[in-house]
Amino acid sequence: MEENKQELFHSRKRIATIRVIRGFKCCFANQPCSLENIHPMDSVKLEVRNLTKAYPGTVALSDFSAVLQGGKVYALLGKNGSGKSTLVKCISGAVLPTSGEILLNDRKVQFRSPMDAFAAGIAIVYQELSLVLDFTVAENILIGRYLKKGPGMSIIDWKGTNEKAAEILATLRIDIPVTEKVAKLSVGQRQMIEIAKAMSYNPAVLILDEPTSALAQHEVESLFRVIHRSREQGIIVIFITHKLNEIRGVADYVTVIRDGRFVGTIPIAEAIPKTLVEMMFGDTQILTRPDNLPVADEVVLEVQGLTREPRFREVSFSLRKGEILGIAGMLGSGRSELLRSIFGADPVDSGEIKLKGVSIRHPHIPFMKKLGMAMTPENRKEEGLIQMLSIKDNLCYASLDRLASWGVLTHKAQEPVVRRWIKELHIKIASPNHPVSSLSGGNQQKIVVGNWLNTEPSIIFFDEPSRGIDVQAKQQIFQIMWELSRKGLSVIFVSTELEELLEVCHRILIMENGRILRETIPENTSLDELYALCMEA
Amino acid sequence: MSAAMSSNHQKTGMNLSVFALEIILLIIIGFLSFFARGFATWDNFLNILRNASTTGIIAFGMTFVIIAGEIDLSVGSAIAFHGCLLAVVTEKLIGRGYPMLPVILLAIAVCFTIAILTGMFTGWVRHRFSVPTFITTLAWMAALRGGGYLLTNSFPTTPFPEWFNFFGSGYVFGIPFQAIIFLLLFGITWFISRFTTFGRAVYAIGGNAESARLSGINVLQKRMIIMALTSAFSVISAIVVASQIQAGNPTVGTSWEFTVISACVIGGVSLMGGKGRIWGTFVGVMFLEIILNGMTLLNIDEYWQYVARAVLILGAVMIYQGQETRQKD
Repeated sequence: MEENKQELFHSRKRIATIRVIRGFKCCFANQPCSLENIHPMDSVKLEVRNLTKAYPGTVALSDFSAVLQGGKVYALLGKNGSGKSTLVKCISGAVLPTSGEILLNDRKVQFRSPMDAFAAGIAIVYQELSLVLDFTVAENILIGRYLKKGPGMSIIDWKGTNEKAAEILATLRIDIPVTEKVAKLSVGQRQMIEIAKAMSYNPAVLILDEPTSALAQHEVESLFRVIHRSREQGIIVIFITHKLNEIRGVADYVTVIRDGRFVGTIPIAEAIPKTLVEMMFGDTQILTRPDNLPVADEVVLEVQGLTREPRFREVSFSLRKGEILGIAGMLGSGRSELLRSIFGADPVDSGEIKLKGVSIRHPHIPFMKKLGMAMTPENRKEEGLIQMLSIKDNLCYASLDRLASWGVLTHKAQEPVVRRWIKELHIKIASPNHPVSSLSGGNQQKIVVGNWLNTEPSIIFFDEPSRGIDVQAKQQIFQIMWELSRKGLSVIFVSTELEELLEVCHRILIMENGRILRETIPENTSLDELYALCMEA
Repeated sequence: MSAAMSSNHQKTGMNLSVFALEIILLIIIGFLSFFARGFATWDNFLNILRNASTTGIIAFGMTFVIIAGEIDLSVGSAIAFHGCLLAVVTEKLIGRGYPMLPVILLAIAVCFTIAILTGMFTGWVRHRFSVPTFITTLAWMAALRGGGYLLTNSFPTTPFPEWFNFFGSGYVFGIPFQAIIFLLLFGITWFISRFTTFGRAVYAIGGNAESARLSGINVLQKRMIIMALTSAFSVISAIVVASQIQAGNPTVGTSWEFTVISACVIGGVSLMGGKGRIWGTFVGVMFLEIILNGMTLLNIDEYWQYVARAVLILGAVMIYQGQETRQKD
């Protein structure tokens, strides 16, 4: 009984609070309202001092110090692996820093878990959204915090809940009906709902992890408007990105991180691409490919006007024998989708592919494989390997028909090829019968490559082969590509890491928003130039 | 007990817990040989094999289905339906004065054709419309059962000649004919699962259908074959059953799908797909049959077999999961 009364009291107070702060800010009684959560305009301050995070073998974050002020949007910029996500994970309590400290409003805080950080007012919206698709907008925003009514406050007050959600959306001027199912919203609208949900907890710091990577241009603009509204409430917004061209539209300051170190924070007025690229890359040593990799004149693959709406359109290029062709472009530019469609993994709307004199309008994987095409997919773990099977099985399953005679596949037939690729690709394993899941990322990638080399292809697509593997394994993958080129195979190499493309390729196509905008050759292009081409195309 | 054994043998590099099921079965056989009068005789052994074969035949097909990450709930109803279809087609054609042997062969061919088509349909719907095989075969389970009643007007139909009884009760060299089929199919499916591209592709699809697709394996074709295979095996079992009772009876095979799936699961076939062996299923089938046979000989109420089966299923899966957790450590 006592509890019931108290809840009733709380809910009355809550409704009253909403009335009072209507149009300005929401605070909910069933939400732990700690001191940190209450912050007048512009008083929020987040400071990190000498933050370091060491993992066995590498230092992801090294002596990082920075001060962030409320009411501002900070773009956190850095290339892949620069320590952006480690920094954010430390701030949001997902990882424990090895040393250094975090101060929120000049008070030292220590987060043992994301819940800790969240209670202290640090909210984070990840790339992978956490919404329940079959719930309405209101349900998603107030999940676990629905208004209640009736005896013992045991019945959900849907009317009140919807009204409260509408208040929250109105504050951010997001124009989406609260009773709409989230499944019916676009990705951009879902992002806004995520932000609204985070803002409803009244945070001091809002972190957005690459929110625009999957959005169309007009969605990006409305998302930025929502971010600006959030900023007006006096909080710190940290906007993680690697798209230079977006920063100007959203950020007040740009903070650059390189190799786990703080490089600098500059106001947006000074953030011209040249400066930013210099800050991001420093003096990166670009290695070059061996010069004994001749390209023949013979064209082995010709793509004409290939379109798959809305991923890519009117894509045309050709690939010659022995050539290593790079495709540069940011996430969402359509490069992986292009490879998948040429290979037959995804459908094609229109256009034509000419492979070995055969004209193909609707590629089909088994057929493309027969014509000598191979692809190591972007998502190695979920698409390239069968985790529960052995290393041996994983080296053979693309070439079952080739290895078998009359459908019968003996261990004798598999053994020599398994041994060959383990040796030639320098795969380090204890036994080919162990599960492939026991291997490191680099060795797993080599298994995927070996699986395809078994089919004796003449063209092989590498989609992000270097993602998540160590430096030495990366170099070995590049060596493999060069070796293939030397043997007369043609390679298409897609990577987010532009310096890798400069190092490995004969020629680079630049893709943006589903189109190939230009091409360049590494010999005539510096990293800054390539970066600027990709960003500002 | 098996845990203690495995830790003892780990030092020598051999892990006996892999054979936990076989060891437990041997212990039970030892126990029954000692305490159950008439258990350890050649006749009883043949009896066990004969009783195991009707569900066992289907279990080999089911093993592929489950390894591929699918399920087939319709096999029990399929036995009833195809038995009835066989009887009704035979009866109708005999009534028109056609000779017996070609008529029965034709009826068998009709059954196989329909079974393969239903199986292929299930595989196609699974692939093309992403309808889980659980749902499609649940529908088949109802439809085929109903079909059996409709075909026979819910009365057993008995058109079969004396010699037809051979499939269900005949002996070849002193061994029951159905047991020979059972052992033959065991050998064939064992070979397919281990030494053919089809077998490897089934594991690949069950392990990760997307990886399999991206590696150029024709997933649709494989799924259709797998589902058709189980349906065809159900027809073989249906012929044996119809021959035993010399009739097409729409009530046979009730809840057999659970016996079949239980045998696979006890044998270590993972419902998550990608894992399992034909040998394991064989052991699972024998396990269930030996328990039943032993309980009958010991004069234990036959309904206890359901309790025993429950313990077996749960115990076996717990052992397998335990092994996996240890492997991960």
